[in-house]
Amino acid sequence: MSAPAPPTPAPGAISEFFWSGARRGQLMIQRCQACGTYIHLPRPVCRACHSFDLLGEPVSGRGSLYSFTETHRPFHPFFVDRVPYLVAVVELEEQAGLRVLTNLVRVAEADVRIGMAVQVEFERLSDDLTIPVFAPAVAA
Amino acid sequence: MTSLRKVAIAGVGYSQVGRHTGLSERHHAAQAAVAALGDAGLDAADIDGATTWGGDATDFAWMLGMGPLRWHLNVGVSPAFITPAIHAAMAVATGQCDVCIAFRIMMQQPSAAQIASGAATLASPSMEDAGMMYPFGDFSPTQWAGLLTNRYLHDSDATEEHFARFAVVQREHAVRNEEALQRTPLTVEDYLAAPYISKPVRLLDCDLPCDSGSAVIFTTEERARDLRQKPVLVEASALSSIRDMNFELLDDMTHTSPAHCAQVLWSRTSLKPGDVDCAQLYDGFSVITFQWLEALGLCDPGAAGPFIAEGNTRLGGSLPVNTDGGACNVGRRHGANFCIEATRQLRGTCGVRQVDGAEVAVWANAVGPFSGAMLLTAG
Repeated sequence: MSAPAPPTPAPGAISEFFWSGARRGQLMIQRCQACGTYIHLPRPVCRACHSFDLLGEPVSGRGSLYSFTETHRPFHPFFVDRVPYLVAVVELEEQAGLRVLTNLVRVAEADVRIGMAVQVEFERLSDDLTIPVFAPAVAA
Repeated sequence: MTSLRKVAIAGVGYSQVGRHTGLSERHHAAQAAVAALGDAGLDAADIDGATTWGGDATDFAWMLGMGPLRWHLNVGVSPAFITPAIHAAMAVATGQCDVCIAFRIMMQQPSAAQIASGAATLASPSMEDAGMMYPFGDFSPTQWAGLLTNRYLHDSDATEEHFARFAVVQREHAVRNEEALQRTPLTVEDYLAAPYISKPVRLLDCDLPCDSGSAVIFTTEERARDLRQKPVLVEASALSSIRDMNFELLDDMTHTSPAHCAQVLWSRTSLKPGDVDCAQLYDGFSVITFQWLEALGLCDPGAAGPFIAEGNTRLGGSLPVNTDGGACNVGRRHGANFCIEATRQLRGTCGVRQVDGAEVAVWANAVGPFSGAMLLTAG
């Protein structure tokens, strides 16, 4: 019996740049080309200025932890062997309130602190799917 | 536009609520409607307005011999039963109809085990947005509840023990409610021994999945005075939406839609938080009730945990909360139980769990991106 496949993003969605970026090892966030506002999740219009000129741009991958939860029950076959795992919300340094839903890795739940500095890295789940996850930032 | 008419709740009813009842959506709607009509002392032919979340209002009305309807509306994804309730009250207030029935019919959701085995999948309102969450293993409302609860623990005075006390108090109330599905007394130790679903959210922080049908009949105050029950009057109501449905990306997970909704609600009445005799506040997850207590000004900001631990929310306390036991114990009636319990408290018919002299009650639904609340008074 083959291992369960990971859940995949919606095909053809405007978030395609996010996933192709992750496969290249880049965190890409949609940005308004008119006013510079970052937008996440991707949308067809800028909520600040109503421009439709939006593109995915690479960001630093640095941020801070806004909140987290350690999931103990699998809600999908792919995650049966992965529980418990950390679901997290990270605020990226590029813009106040710019948050991404992600996973927190290489840290024990007991050591997680809201506000801690985190840095993106990439985890390959299948040939087609790589996800941007975050780990505690290493002091420079 | 003519002036608005004062609206009253004239009848309330439940179906045979339970886990895996084997009954259809129509069956639950029919049972709840028959119960509500009987409670009000109304005939099906008196109903000239209908709204529902779950199923179809026109289908239920025809099945029950109601109508012809002068007003009807099917409600989509929204903050639980408060949405059909407010729509029904507005339809009566504006004269679109005179006697309006509002339903929430909800069938039991698949279990985590069914989902993990691939036997069932979770529905999502937007597959495009869900596609940005699922690859990270974020599927279930229990997970955004975990994010909100951890952030709330960080931002407030609450502790894990306060959440335990909340569950214990809710169960104390359920013990006094023959309609509750869970009535075995609970201790703090029982709570702390319950498994995590998405830490810090434990099994006992979650409402109980079940099949349920709930119906509430709204009419004019004038009409209600001629009916079977003491009228319960709609003093004010409010809906709020502060962002799209991505709970995970809320700007401020501790001060969410209820904070805005409460502000709107209090702006529509001369009553004050201190006038409230009992509060029926959504508990799909425990943290939601904590947020509503603070948002409505029923306790100090950040102090819902100590407020609960001091016993204020118990029957006999300064502000009894969720006196039917809450959805953790009566089952997931998706907010309708809070409307029905508030109505019964203001009628004074709650027996062993009656709040003495209850004249003002608030009930509130949902959290995060959207919410709604209604203030009721004894007629």
